[in-house]
Amino acid sequence: MGFSSSKSPFPLFLDLGPLYRCCGSTAMTSAATKQVDTRVVVETPEGVDFTFQIAGPGIRMSAWALDMLIKALIVGFVAAIVSIVTTLLEGTSGLQITGGLVLIVSFLMDWFYGSFFEGFRSGQTPGKTYYNLRVVRSNGTPVDLLSATGRNFLRFVDLLPGPWTVALLCMIFTRRLQRLGDLCFDTMVIQEARAPGGRAAGLTKGIEPLLRSECTRRFSVPDRTLAIIERLFAADRIISDARREELAKPLSLSIRRRIGWQPAGPDPANPYKFYQNQADQHTRFLKQVLKTFAVDDMVGIRSADAGTKGANA
Amino acid sequence: MNRERFIRSRRADWQQFELLLGRLKSTSDSRWTGHDVSELSRLYRSLCYDLSLVQSREWGTRLEAYLNDLVAQGHNCLYRSPPASAVRALDFIIYGFPKLLRSRRQEFAISAALFVIPLVICIVVAIVRPDLAATVAGEEQLRAVVDVYSGDVFGQAAGTYGSQRTYMFGYYVSNNTGIAFRAYTFGILAGIGTCLILLSNGITIGMSTGAVLSAGPPASINYTSFVVTHGAPELTAIVVAGAAGLVLAKGIFIPGSRSRLASLRHHGRESLQLALGAGVMLFFAAVLEGYFSPLPIHPAWKYTAGSLAWLFVGLWLGMSGRERAAA
Repeated sequence: MGFSSSKSPFPLFLDLGPLYRCCGSTAMTSAATKQVDTRVVVETPEGVDFTFQIAGPGIRMSAWALDMLIKALIVGFVAAIVSIVTTLLEGTSGLQITGGLVLIVSFLMDWFYGSFFEGFRSGQTPGKTYYNLRVVRSNGTPVDLLSATGRNFLRFVDLLPGPWTVALLCMIFTRRLQRLGDLCFDTMVIQEARAPGGRAAGLTKGIEPLLRSECTRRFSVPDRTLAIIERLFAADRIISDARREELAKPLSLSIRRRIGWQPAGPDPANPYKFYQNQADQHTRFLKQVLKTFAVDDMVGIRSADAGTKGANA
Repeated sequence: MNRERFIRSRRADWQQFELLLGRLKSTSDSRWTGHDVSELSRLYRSLCYDLSLVQSREWGTRLEAYLNDLVAQGHNCLYRSPPASAVRALDFIIYGFPKLLRSRRQEFAISAALFVIPLVICIVVAIVRPDLAATVAGEEQLRAVVDVYSGDVFGQAAGTYGSQRTYMFGYYVSNNTGIAFRAYTFGILAGIGTCLILLSNGITIGMSTGAVLSAGPPASINYTSFVVTHGAPELTAIVVAGAAGLVLAKGIFIPGSRSRLASLRHHGRESLQLALGAGVMLFFAAVLEGYFSPLPIHPAWKYTAGSLAWLFVGLWLGMSGRERAAA
């Protein structure tokens, strides 16, 4: 055991202590695992990593507001039905039965609405269904009834002292935007069913493709390069246009060399357009490359008759 | 294999998987056929392979996003927690809950002390020093309580008894259980709110009890015979809910060898089970309080029922589930 210990009997190297070891390890882990965005990577038992998009407070509050509305409607509906029935059957004393039932129903709505729906409809209240949100455990598996109940119980504290104050404070300090109830019961709220589109859907609207006759060398771009371009334009990547242009420049230049494409000079009839496009010429060129070479082969896979909701969200 | 050939050969499977997912999501899992399940798991596994292939070859973020969504949905469809069953819930209430409560007897004792000590002190104060009780609790409030129980409390007209009681039943369910659940959830804010709820309930209940007792019969007889039966589950449940809140607070303050977050999670599930058990007790208490306690029958019957209720609650919480622990 003596050899494996860090304190060897014949010290040859200075032990820089925990600080040094710390530096090494945090540098490794922070580069490998820490992301400053709202995606969470989950590894399945099959050994595949897939990502979840964490839902932000805004959309969660919207879903919550919708749920509040639904709760109020349910209580009102029960009150109306029961008061009509009991008044017909019992006269004025029916009002007391109605009052009692309304109290019970609103109590159930207060404490068990969320847990009922999230527990039995795999993590979705009607409001969450509408906004394509889902509660899952932080390892990506569906919530169980107990966790769903717990996170909805603690919502009472999360809403204190004003609307969502504790919850928002708590979400600021957690990577998965968890409120107290989520933290305590190990759950998170994810956004589901992002819009699937074609390979270059939406990105290349209004962009003219490159023409074969404009290029002097071979007219092809490898898939891997196309993927890199796509990643540059990924919707969840927030970079300024100027920075994107800067990043696009070396790639654009090397693709131009590869396919032998020369930018056309200013059109004598309308020189203004040329100079206007000069500022984002590389970004524009990469979009043209996408338009030309990326096949829009994903369209139609998520067919309308598959019954998946939120495809147009 | 290049990208186009890959997509062409795999697309059919993806479409089939989507169709299957759409169908299975809309039917309850008890109606899934064996063929469905084996097909789902086969397609899911091949999809996982496709996703890792696309990820490693960098065949485009959109293709990756598409497969990623399919895998995520399939993952949620395949991996689930065991379904909730009524039998297990009943089993928990009968055996599991008392056992759990006994394993948390420390928090239960603190919670009981926080509730019972002010209760007893206030009863004594209200009897020995009525003037002091009046300044603390307010003279009108105390007199109002005494007035309620001095009159003919249980002599309602037979016709409206049912509907009036139903209203009170609803009130007891929403008010008492709401207080218990709040006492529990406040536990996560360091347990301060939990302690306050326990103390204030102990004080107010103690003050009014003392005032009614010192007023003498018939108020004292009416009052004690009214509360004795449902008090057994109700007062115990408030203490249990307080204990649940204290378990949460302990998870934050005394994490032991766990990290604070892990400790909170560990204690969170047990505390919630305690709180839910308290909720069930309060439901039965509300049934008793709503429909049995105000019955216009001789107080002796109520004292008998009340002793039985206390005995039952004591035996249930103290003994139930013991033989299982030994086995």
